Amino acid sequence: MSRNNGMDRRQLLKLAGLSAAGLGLTAAGCGSGSGGSGGPVTIRHSWWGADDRAKKVQQCVTLFEKKHPKIKVKTDFQQYADFWKKFNTQAAGGNPPDVIQNAVTFLRKYEAKNVLLDLGPQAEKGNLDLGGFRSGLEKFAEIDGKLLGVPVGSNSMALVIDEKVYEKAGIAPEIGWTWDDWLAGLEKIKSGQKIAGDAGPHGVMYLYDLILRQNGKAFFTEDGMGFGEDELLPYWTEALERVKSGLYADPNKVEQLKPASATAKGLSAGEFTWDNFSVRYSAEGRSSYGLAPIPSTDGKKTGQYLGSLMLSGTARTKHPAEVATFISFMTHDPEVARIMGYDRGVPATTAQFGAYQPSDAPSKAIGAYETAIADAGVLEPITPHPAGADVIEAAFLRIGADLSLGKSSPEESVKQFFSEAKTALGSN
Amino acid sequence: MTHIHTSPGVLAAGDDRSVAKRNGPGGNAPPPARKRRDRGENVAGYLFMSPWIAGFLFLIAGPMVFSLYLSFTEYNLFEAPRWIGLQNFTDMFADPRWRQSVKVTSWYVLIGTPIKLAAALAVAMLLAQKRWGQSFYRAAFYAPSLIGASVSAAIVWRALFSDDAIVDRTQKVFGVEVGGWIGDPAMIIYALIALTVWQFGAPMVIFLAGLKQVPRELYEAAEVDGAGPWRRFFHITLPMISPVLFFNVLLETIHSFQIFGSAYIVSNSSCGPADATLVYTCYLYEQGFVNSRMGFASAMGWLLLVAVGLVTAVLFWSQKRWVHYEEGGR
Repeated sequence: MSRNNGMDRRQLLKLAGLSAAGLGLTAAGCGSGSGGSGGPVTIRHSWWGADDRAKKVQQCVTLFEKKHPKIKVKTDFQQYADFWKKFNTQAAGGNPPDVIQNAVTFLRKYEAKNVLLDLGPQAEKGNLDLGGFRSGLEKFAEIDGKLLGVPVGSNSMALVIDEKVYEKAGIAPEIGWTWDDWLAGLEKIKSGQKIAGDAGPHGVMYLYDLILRQNGKAFFTEDGMGFGEDELLPYWTEALERVKSGLYADPNKVEQLKPASATAKGLSAGEFTWDNFSVRYSAEGRSSYGLAPIPSTDGKKTGQYLGSLMLSGTARTKHPAEVATFISFMTHDPEVARIMGYDRGVPATTAQFGAYQPSDAPSKAIGAYETAIADAGVLEPITPHPAGADVIEAAFLRIGADLSLGKSSPEESVKQFFSEAKTALGSN
Repeated sequence: MTHIHTSPGVLAAGDDRSVAKRNGPGGNAPPPARKRRDRGENVAGYLFMSPWIAGFLFLIAGPMVFSLYLSFTEYNLFEAPRWIGLQNFTDMFADPRWRQSVKVTSWYVLIGTPIKLAAALAVAMLLAQKRWGQSFYRAAFYAPSLIGASVSAAIVWRALFSDDAIVDRTQKVFGVEVGGWIGDPAMIIYALIALTVWQFGAPMVIFLAGLKQVPRELYEAAEVDGAGPWRRFFHITLPMISPVLFFNVLLETIHSFQIFGSAYIVSNSSCGPADATLVYTCYLYEQGFVNSRMGFASAMGWLLLVAVGLVTAVLFWSQKRWVHYEEGGR
């Protein structure tokens, strides 16, 4: 207690001032250390996916840091829906991660808001390698002359089937089969094995897009909807009948299983989804699962295209060169392909495609499926997705589910969907 | 009944004013030395309060004023807010999903709150009696409300009420084949209500305190007069604890209006199926953070504030009819 006696107020103040100055100096020292040349640069990368993908991405990042010791990568991941909520908030607050996983549904939305980095200049400077992409995928994310992302993998819509059920029913889907063939198959499965033929495809926007494309339209135009109420009403009316008749799985149970899949849990013989999703089915379910081609109306045009996950930089990044270097590494390095496998689709570059030879059955099936549809010549260019497409996709899924649960009539559902789509297009 | 705690500085200032009032203009003004001391105390008081004041201004008042402004704008987080007047509010009333969210929330408040309070009171009455292991039971019944708001409890709830989970199987034993509650739009709201009822710990503790205040003599006198347990409950217990009951009704009602976490998680981050658990805040969250309609979300938030304010006002108005305070307690 008596130690302070010899010190008056002024001395105390002086001491406080000195220590504050000292703090200031240290802070200044820190600042020059990280901002100056020579120190490592840290970039942040976030993506959506499950734990399994997180482990793989982390392995790739470790490898990257070893090869590029001056760049550190901080990683972060969420589930799909949560990922975008977080990203929206970060981007609006001016603090988005430097590199994000991205998809075509979001390109125009964030382009309109100047959130994404134009990678074009970085490619010109040689920080980003655009050579060796499969079937023109490097132009995948080019909008109005800006390169807004680079694909890491490609995927396409497919019908995932429970092979044992299909086999027992004596159905062998082949390229060129029609919607009538598919429907006849569902009837056969239902009457023979007492399970639903499909999980209920009426809320899957990407499948409805294919159906529209088979008829010369598309889900979206560049700035709006590519179809009208007249087209959707019969589609959803039919869907409701099929739910009631048991051709499509009981929606109550489908809802409860989520996020597990209805087909993997034995509720239905198949469901339409992205081909690379089939990897998870064998982990979730007890049967064996295969990929069947998309049916068509005329036996030829399936409306299919290669979709893709991509990596994008964000416009606010202070390190565009490092961002480009990282994206280039993730898309071209053969080691990365061996680590990631087909987790994000079939690798987009020839170097990575050649580097990974799948040994597990589901991955082999994905590779074979993509080769088969490419050889069959059914692939077409992707149609644009306007800003707001993400919200519209979610509304389509939700309202489709409400419809099948008997919460609203097909007429009401169609009206509700178009009203929400209008709002989404207007406010994004 | 309750004391309002004020800091010494504020009390002193209040005293001065009342002294001045009593004495009227031209009365004895406090000596200058005291004035100085008071001012010094005030400054010290404000200085000590400054972290809280700063926090209130920047973290509560500021954002509130900003969100009030936003509620009259269209704001997608990225572009500057655009003034649209009352458009958000008119859009809201025209939106069937918004109406659904009002319906679901009202249902939840009207059904869930009374059941929760009844459960809390019933258990409080059991635990008010002296018996062996009393403190263990009190702790055990209170525990769920400690972990109740957590994400893990909601996840467990989801697992309990899913298809072919324990609740479903138990139902089947009794010949009830409803399937799981989580995927059934008609049933999932009851799973949520069950979750909130399960978390009755906080009102229970308050009821316990209230029950302890009821004088034993009243019961003894009533017993002598031949009143049965129901009569004693309705004519002694309820009126005597009515101030506590009012407090609990008020708090739980306000609390129920704000349900979010449990609804969001039990319904798998979707407020569904078929919007069956689309509670008000869930829709607000979806509009703001998923659909990037922050103006609309702000408008919804302000309307909720007004609605809760109105309900509170009605409750306060109604208490004159059913809340009995001891004489001098009012």
